Amino acid sequence: MTTKKNRVRMRVSWIILGIFFYSSCKQGTHKDASDRNEKRSTGKTHIKYAHGFSIDEYEHFRLVTILNPEADRTDTLRYLLLKEGQPVPEGFSKAQVIRTPVKTIIGTSSMHIAQADFAGVADRIIGLGNLHYVNSPIVRQNIKDGKCVQVGLEGTMNNELILSMHPGVLIAMANPGAGFAKYKTLIDGGIPVLWNTEWLESTPLGRAEWVKLMGALVEKEEIVSKKFDSVEHTYDTLAQLARRAATRPRVIIGMPFKGSWYVPAGGSYMGRFLRDAGAGYKWSDTKGTGSIALNFESVAPEALTADYWLNLGYIDKKGDIPGKDPRYAAFSPFKTDHLYNYNNRVNDIGGNDYWESGGVNPQIVLADMIRILHPELLPDHVLYYYNQLK
Amino acid sequence: MGAATPLSGHDTTRWSRRRILHLTGLSLLLLIAFLMDITLGSVRIPFRQVFRILFSMHTDDLTWKYIVEQIRIPKACTAVLAGCGLSVSGLQMQTLFRNPLAGPDVLGITSGASLGVVTIMLSEGSIAALYTIKELGISGSWLIIGAACVGAAGIMLLVVTISGRIRNNVMMLIIGVMIGMITQSVISLWQYFSSPELVKDYLLWTFGSLGGVSGSQLYILAVVVVIGVVICFLSSKLLDALLLGENYARSMGLTTQRARVIIICSTSLLAGGITAFCGPIGFIGVAVPHMARALFNTSSHRILMPACCLIGTLLMLFCDMIAQLPASQTVLPINVVTSLIGAPVLIWVILRKNNLRAT
Repeated sequence: MTTKKNRVRMRVSWIILGIFFYSSCKQGTHKDASDRNEKRSTGKTHIKYAHGFSIDEYEHFRLVTILNPEADRTDTLRYLLLKEGQPVPEGFSKAQVIRTPVKTIIGTSSMHIAQADFAGVADRIIGLGNLHYVNSPIVRQNIKDGKCVQVGLEGTMNNELILSMHPGVLIAMANPGAGFAKYKTLIDGGIPVLWNTEWLESTPLGRAEWVKLMGALVEKEEIVSKKFDSVEHTYDTLAQLARRAATRPRVIIGMPFKGSWYVPAGGSYMGRFLRDAGAGYKWSDTKGTGSIALNFESVAPEALTADYWLNLGYIDKKGDIPGKDPRYAAFSPFKTDHLYNYNNRVNDIGGNDYWESGGVNPQIVLADMIRILHPELLPDHVLYYYNQLK
Repeated sequence: MGAATPLSGHDTTRWSRRRILHLTGLSLLLLIAFLMDITLGSVRIPFRQVFRILFSMHTDDLTWKYIVEQIRIPKACTAVLAGCGLSVSGLQMQTLFRNPLAGPDVLGITSGASLGVVTIMLSEGSIAALYTIKELGISGSWLIIGAACVGAAGIMLLVVTISGRIRNNVMMLIIGVMIGMITQSVISLWQYFSSPELVKDYLLWTFGSLGGVSGSQLYILAVVVVIGVVICFLSSKLLDALLLGENYARSMGLTTQRARVIIICSTSLLAGGITAFCGPIGFIGVAVPHMARALFNTSSHRILMPACCLIGTLLMLFCDMIAQLPASQTVLPINVVTSLIGAPVLIWVILRKNNLRAT
């Protein structure tokens, strides 16, 4: 019986493999054909973890492709990175043109500030969707001096203001499939709108690797690449260290709201962090890159006996937890004071650096988590983004 | 528009044997539903153990004890309170406004509560405001409940003041709906200018939830609902008189003005209180009075009041069971379930009866 099942399974996997090869061959030939019309690509920027974008190098320009994981709409999301004054090469009429090095940037999320900061060009940000929550000292100073202004987000975006600012690029964060129409006016007005879908990446290093796109925009690829390599190296070393840990402390994540509890899926960004930090996580085998909606009742058995409670949302003090709901006080991490939130670097205007520089510094976030879950492995590390709630 | 139809036919106001039987049957069903709601859930707990926990006997598993005592019982109690309160106030509104589509939310009280919640949730960005509130020592869920109460009370005050000046019920209905619309558009405007994450929090709140009320909150909700329902029961006679038309009621020596204020007050209390704790729960308030009328074949409020209490509670418990999707780990928003389950039930009741009395 089992052998028969296995045989069937084998056959199915061969078929799947066959389809995969066939389609990948097809894609390959398709690409070759399109390239033949153009000058040949001279190489690719090495992207190791991120799945959302690619950069092809050509002789006089680079081609950025933003891949939409939900729909095959890559044709609308191609960008030519051209030096000032260079003519637009033929065959790329559909691609938006970004003149490099980009001198002025409008960003729409904290992550865009962090990427610019990482590349050393935070001073080039002249506009942001929302001026609240900024952490970067350079950007905050520019806001104070009036060099960086608020342009509004999504539906409330001030198109006239943006058009008058002539930014080198506007970085959008919405899902390109859904949000395209909102930016049509700007694109028609000659402002390149670049979609950053780093938040769709399912690994911390993948999310951080989007700095390479920023590097290409401002022509600082080498510095950025080097910096990223060191981030990667540190991250890997830490993950290996945690792999050797003797225990797997059980954690619960997040804060329930009115009877439902959203927990990160095992295949998500946070799920990966937990695995690399050597945490025991009940939902580590769940698929999906987002979070799963559970009811309070199905998380409660785990919460009652877990070792740690991380990422508690908008909670600053231990005392605020029973204020949310007195039932949470029965959880074991609450009783043992093993409560850690990512609010160590919240500034006076409420900006949380975890959401900003944390995105491009996954190695520090990981170090924090290892320090929390396995203090003996990193005895000298001082928590940077995380903070114990008291 | 026929709520004013005088009681036609025979025997529509008496407690006949049939009706008492119906009522007893419903009460029994209610008890069963309550026990089932406590027994069913994502985590499988044998009924024997649930029973032991219910009667504070020794149990082997502390997790089960926590789940039953801290999660399921408060949730079932909230379902009972919300179901009862909303249906009773819906009945009142339908009679007062002689409109079969009226419900607890027609006066704009629910929107008022929503406005309160929006004010708190969407202003989280302005730290100064939040800091001031925190200094007052209110935080977390109480903050939201408090805001909802203030919002509901504000609109209620407005409505009661207006109802004291206006003598026409239809005008009152229109004004109530208009106040609700103004409040809703203020909310929309606020949402439009807020960041998506904050809007999402608010959206989750509008889905309604029975699972977020526990501990002392449950006691407060219970007190509010009991007061509201008691006023409703006491006003049964007023409502019966109103059914005969305002002129008739006046000739019976009833001060319609005062009756109206009493009815509006109790509905505001119920709708505002329940919305504050559970979020806006729709449908039950509109549908249950019709079910009660169809089942008991009467328009007498002395019979409809207890009938609405029972049917509303039963429906709410049933919806809660379905929302929990037994054997799965997710939970559906209660608002979705009430309409999804309730509407077909109501249609079935109407078709079976083929005529809805006194609607």
